[in-house]
Amino acid sequence: MAKILIVDDSMLSRRMMRAILESDGHEVCEATDGMSGIERYFLEKPDLVTLDLTMEGMHGIDVLTRIRQIDPKARVVVASADIQDATRALVMEAGARAFVNKPFNTRQVLEAVRNALQGDPS
Amino acid sequence: MILTQEQQDALTELINIAFSKTAASLSDLTGHRVLLDVPKVDIIPIEDMSRKLGAFIQGEVATVHQIFTGTLAGDAMLVLNADGASMLVNLLTGQERPGIRVDATGREVLTEIGNILLNACLGMFGNLLKVHVSFSVPRLFVEDLEAMMGTLVVGQEELRYALTVSTNFRLQGNAVEGYLVIVLGVVSLDQLIHAIERWTEHPIIE
Repeated sequence: MAKILIVDDSMLSRRMMRAILESDGHEVCEATDGMSGIERYFLEKPDLVTLDLTMEGMHGIDVLTRIRQIDPKARVVVASADIQDATRALVMEAGARAFVNKPFNTRQVLEAVRNALQGDPS
Repeated sequence: MILTQEQQDALTELINIAFSKTAASLSDLTGHRVLLDVPKVDIIPIEDMSRKLGAFIQGEVATVHQIFTGTLAGDAMLVLNADGASMLVNLLTGQERPGIRVDATGREVLTEIGNILLNACLGMFGNLLKVHVSFSVPRLFVEDLEAMMGTLVVGQEELRYALTVSTNFRLQGNAVEGYLVIVLGVVSLDQLIHAIERWTEHPIIE
């Protein structure tokens, strides 16, 4: 099972994501904003990051870009309430492995996480 | 601004689709069946908004605001009355918290639910218009309706119309009545209506 970092400024969404990931046996750590998410990424060295977009301070796309600049092999699944196709295209272009929408659907989240973990790091 | 019956029907159906997806997901998360009444959609001058909302909500209201920018720009709000706000928090946390002045956990829940509902609705519009809408961080305010209206109007002279969507959630047999208000400038509203007209000719959501 994998070590997964949840970066989200909503306690509710962190709690829901944690419950889903732990139900599949993953080890979970959390960050409450983008900047601390970047810090936790390099401290914890997680196998995967789930990343919110609209957050206080750094926007999720900036966090994604920053993490991927420093670690091009970083696996990031974006988890956002933003359902726009344009947003999905934007984050995939920035290097995200998958895009899941809030409120979370257990099956969709676990499928995205499994696929992201199985793929080659790049 | 008056919508034709066809525009009204199309707009209602779009919002219904967006909210139904959200209700289904909320049901997954809470483990309870979530029922959402067919939303009632209206476009009114913002000068009339206080009177319209005041007919349903008195006293303090909890509003989740989310400014959005881009081709489609404005101010979106989820407005809940005191009972509705505390009921929604209690239902989603499984704990009893009296009154509208909810604690930090309650504020978190309301803000995120507002975020999800507002994004579901505006995201659908973004997809329809094929433009990208950028969202600000959602903010929760607890204040009386008049104060809320004051903060909305001051300094935003270009805002003219409000798209109001009244909704009714039912979770575990409890009704939570809420209003989704999207204040748009005339340019954005015009674009939205034109996009809806195009959509009615080819009503496929990809």
